[in-house]
Amino acid sequence: MIETENLTRKFGSLTAVENLTLQVNEGEVFGFLGPNAAGKTTTVRMLCCLISKTSGKARIGDFEVDSEENCLAIRKMVGLLPENVGLYESLSAYKNLDFYGKLYEVPLQKRQENIERLLKLLGIWERKDEAVGNFSKGTKQKIAIARALIHEPQVLFLDEPTSNLDPEAAKTVRDFILDLKKEKRTIFMNTHNLDEAGRICDRIAILKTHLVAVGSPEDLERSTSNRKTVVHLENITDAVLAAVKKLNVVKNMRTNENKLILDMDNPEKDNPQLVKAVVKAGGNVQFVTELRSSLEDVYLKLIREAETK
Amino acid sequence: MRFWKSWIVTTKDLGVFKKNRYILYSLIALPILMGVLVPLILIFSLQAEAASLRQETATTLVNLFTAYFVIIAAVLPTIIASYSFVGEKLEKSLEPLLATPTTDGELLFGKSLAAFIPCVGATYIGALIFVVIIDAWSILSIGEFLIPNVYWAIVMGAVTPLVCILSVEANVIISSRVNDIRAAQQLGAFVILPIILVMVLASTVQTFPLVTLALILTGALALADVAMFYLSKATFQREEILTKWK
Repeated sequence: MIETENLTRKFGSLTAVENLTLQVNEGEVFGFLGPNAAGKTTTVRMLCCLISKTSGKARIGDFEVDSEENCLAIRKMVGLLPENVGLYESLSAYKNLDFYGKLYEVPLQKRQENIERLLKLLGIWERKDEAVGNFSKGTKQKIAIARALIHEPQVLFLDEPTSNLDPEAAKTVRDFILDLKKEKRTIFMNTHNLDEAGRICDRIAILKTHLVAVGSPEDLERSTSNRKTVVHLENITDAVLAAVKKLNVVKNMRTNENKLILDMDNPEKDNPQLVKAVVKAGGNVQFVTELRSSLEDVYLKLIREAETK
Repeated sequence: MRFWKSWIVTTKDLGVFKKNRYILYSLIALPILMGVLVPLILIFSLQAEAASLRQETATTLVNLFTAYFVIIAAVLPTIIASYSFVGEKLEKSLEPLLATPTTDGELLFGKSLAAFIPCVGATYIGALIFVVIIDAWSILSIGEFLIPNVYWAIVMGAVTPLVCILSVEANVIISSRVNDIRAAQQLGAFVILPIILVMVLASTVQTFPLVTLALILTGALALADVAMFYLSKATFQREEILTKWK
């Protein structure tokens, strides 16, 4: 649904996005992670035809991001939630949505239905005629999301959808995104929130001007080869330690209380052999678990590596 | 250019202006001041004039004050257009607006029209009140209607809207460089100052016959409007707004 090939944007001598090549599938929730000034917002703006690209290609659905005609078609099929909600504070929630519905060419009856459905879904219908200026930050964010959805776009770009929101409002917005995921919309989400990205996104890209890594949260967590097998034992005996040391598949071993923490290249394949050896040496195994790098560890490691390159 | 798209933007902006007391009061106060107070003062001073000189003096003064309506048409957009463009910047509502399937030209035209309509409308209402009061007095006092005359028709029909357009266009350009509504208004006032000076000087010094003067002004303003249109169009582009507007 979204494709880029060597997408680049320069502002004078500054390169904001460099040779970005990625593909986002239909119905996928795609997280775009990166520090400030990594080029996330610039990428979204290029994909929404708000600013031009310096070089490379980008495609949304059947349309190349190039001519004015294609850009109008793209803007019609995408919804954007920018970092700043940008609502008209003196107008009511209903009038804000109605205005955008008209600009997105939604017929009157459909527009009325969509506004009612979205505001009811977000729990704001009762306050539809109140000026937006009276609402809390979280409620404004919800209205801005409704605005991005007023024309039922196939692709939704969300730029920091839960930034500056209190935990409760952030949860409401997150739950709403999860509901949208069920509707099989393609969602491209810029975020700093790693926990949120890990929970919501099917795949994640890490950007630091150029693409650093892309994959599912699980793949990324595995990618830094920091996976360890942890064997919880009733007691650690010398016999158990000796038996484990004999195994070639164990690269490194340390103990912590009654746990054996082991580095292995291919735990899926070698863990059964490990458990057999421990049991044979008289060890009473309570649990065998995996100790993975968190998404945060992976992110920080990759960003640091990208910065030092 | 799809005018119906521009009209959506215009009606939204007019709705926003309606909720803004400062804009409403400005739209009402200035034209009423010029439309009611000025003719009353004029009539009061003409009553003291000898009856034989009254018609000539009245005609001169009425023509002079007609020029002041052009000033209103130049001043009002500095108030409204600054809210329309800088206001959007302050509310950070330009990005979602630019993300809609509308062209830069449609958005610019819609927003400019929203600033133009109330300004010209208020000026015409003020001018209409002025005409009614002056003519009511003149028919009773001199026995004929003083306005409309050819000069008045050219000023109201051409000069006033052209000045208003110029002021709106100037405000688009100013709005791209400032982040404060008052700063935009002050800069806007600075831009329209030459227009005000030309109008006042021309109508008092009277180097040319007034109708010739009005026609020269119309031509000059039309040219200035075209030049400013291209400048404001170059300023109001998605790329410029999102990457260069302060």
